[in-house]
Parts: sequence; structure tokens; C-alpha cells
Amino acid sequence: MKLSCIIVEDIQIAADFLRKFCEKSDLVEVKGHFLNVSDALEYLDREKVDLLFLDIEMPGANGFDLLDRLTYSPMIILTTSKTEYAFNAFQYHVDDYLKKPFTFKRFQESIQKLQLKAAAAQASAVAPPVSAPSTDTDFLFIKAEDKLIKLKKDDILFLESMRDYVKFVTPARNYITYSTLKNMEEKLIGPNFLKVHRSYIVNITKIDDIRGNTIYLLGNQIPIGKGHRDEVAAKLNIL
Amino acid sequence: MPNIRSGFVFDECLNSAFLAELFDGDTIYAETVFEDFLRDLPVYWQRVDNAFENENLPVLGTCVHTCKTLFGYVGFTDLQELCQQFENNCSVNRMDDLRDDYRLLTERKEKAQRVIEKEYNRLREYNEANG
Repeated sequence: MKLSCIIVEDIQIAADFLRKFCEKSDLVEVKGHFLNVSDALEYLDREKVDLLFLDIEMPGANGFDLLDRLTYSPMIILTTSKTEYAFNAFQYHVDDYLKKPFTFKRFQESIQKLQLKAAAAQASAVAPPVSAPSTDTDFLFIKAEDKLIKLKKDDILFLESMRDYVKFVTPARNYITYSTLKNMEEKLIGPNFLKVHRSYIVNITKIDDIRGNTIYLLGNQIPIGKGHRDEVAAKLNIL
Repeated sequence: MPNIRSGFVFDECLNSAFLAELFDGDTIYAETVFEDFLRDLPVYWQRVDNAFENENLPVLGTCVHTCKTLFGYVGFTDLQELCQQFENNCSVNRMDDLRDDYRLLTERKEKAQRVIEKEYNRLREYNEANG
């Protein structure tokens, strides 16, 4: 299964190497190359890709600004020659970090890891309910702790992305399942769940209040991502 | 992409083991990269000079960051490290403290450019002879 990608990189030599490695691997199809964040975002508003190769330091906005504005969650490989960004990479839950210049071998290791992750996420997708939903609430089953656990959707406060896992937070306890937030987003389509940040989906019926760009639910604080603010305001009828 | 096991040996002042892995024997692609380096470096280094003259440390650091990446792709991994140090110093030091380092960096850059010009010509001759 080929992954589709775009390259966001202002140094032509670096972009050419990446394109060449993608072709050589035969695992990644390059849909476009962009020299800055603004052009990349314009493309990503129209088209979705599986993977972003993202440089950090570019003219104008930097790579993290792009991640703040993304309205969906492709896999991310940061390509930079600065190791100081490793902490930011962790905060943004990126999938890998390639220090330039990197060899084809290093590139290949990264892509193969992502391919396995994409395949595993599809295989461990939320199972459909084994019985018909109750008339009052819907529920879903998630694979966690070596079993299928039944969760009432109404019990879920929010979901948080944790790299290769998703954490379900309920008032009673948390559950962690091996999946992606994108997968969960597709399963939780409905009026009550809203993606408010690259790493968070919240149950809007559980929101206590919103202060600035932070949502409060039962003592938990959830940031609202820059790329999600308009949608959040519209959905919650914020005047 | 061709995967020719090459008999070409890079100049000893380059990181030839890294270049051998990076290009995997593809001397034709290596020639392209070296050509691109020679085309792009003067443009990027002009920005370094401008930032230095304008005493704009943040921009100076960013411009050196870009050149650092170019040096890495042609095997000047030691010069890449020197650029990294300079880039780090741009965020903590004052301009006066950087003048000597800037001079050293510029000398090393010019030497690197001469080496890559020579390597590019050698690669061209090698590829023509083995084409």
C-alpha cells in the first residue's frame, strides 16, 4: 500500500533527495513539493495526504505553525538538521524525525515503520457494536487490556492522541487502545463529538466552560488548536 | 535509479564513507547534487553576508542553518558542525563576539567551495569516461 505524501522544504537539494528516496522505495507517492507553509496549507485545504515530510525552519511560518493549522491528522515526519526540536516533535506527536542529511537506509526504516503503523491502525479499528445500541445511548467497543471493552459514548469525556495509541478519558477511568485519532474520528461521527485540536476529540455535552482557547471538562484542560477554532466556534454557537 | 557500484573515490577532506552511503554508487546523481550545491551556495551565502552586515543575529543564524544543510549533502560534515555551533552562538552571543567565528566560517566556506568545484569536475570526467 503506497502512502501519499507532500514535501514541505525550502532547500531544493534536500527536497530532491526526498523525492528520489520516495521513488526508490516505491512505498511513497509524492503529490507535491512546497517551499513554504502557506502554499502547503493551501494544498492541504483541498487535498488530503497520508504523510507530510515537514521541514521546520522555512521562510515565513515554520513547520510547527503548519501543524497548528492542520485540520486533520496525517502522519508527520519532521526533517531538520536541528536536534533541539525533538521536544517540540514529541509535543506534536510526530511520527518520526529525520536529521538532514539522512541516507536512504534511514529513510527506508522510517517509512517501513509508518507503513506498519498504518496497517496496524486499520486492523485494530474499533469493532462494531456486538449488540444493537440502546434507545438512550450509543456505545462502542475498543480493544484494550487484551479484551474488547464496551464504552458508552455518553461516558466519554474526551479522546487524546498518544502517538500510536488513543486514550479514552471517562470520569471513572482511562482506557488506552492501539489506534489513531483519525480512526476514532471516523467512528465517532455525530453531533456530540468534535475534534478541537490535532490531538483531541471532545464530547461537547461534557464541556463545563471555555476560557480563551482552553476547554474545561471535569477538571481536564483541552487546548483548542488554531486550525480548529472556527469550527469549534461554529459548532458550539460561540457568539 | 541506477545503482552502480562506483570506483569513484571522493576527496579525503570530505566524509567519503557518508557520501558512499548517501549516493550508493550513483555518481551521476552525485554530479547533479554537487552542481546544485555550486549553484545554490553563493545565493544562500550572500544572505549570510547581508545578515552579518546588517547585524541581524536571528536572520544570520537562520541563513547559516540553511548553508549548514547544503554542506552536509556534499560530505562536509565537519563544516556542518561548525555551522551548527555558529548558529547556536547567534542566539546567545553579541555580534562583536561572533566576528572572529564569522571570519573563520567564511574561510572554511570558500575552501569548501573550491573542493566541491574540483570534485564536481572530477565527477563529470568520471561519468563521461564511464558513461
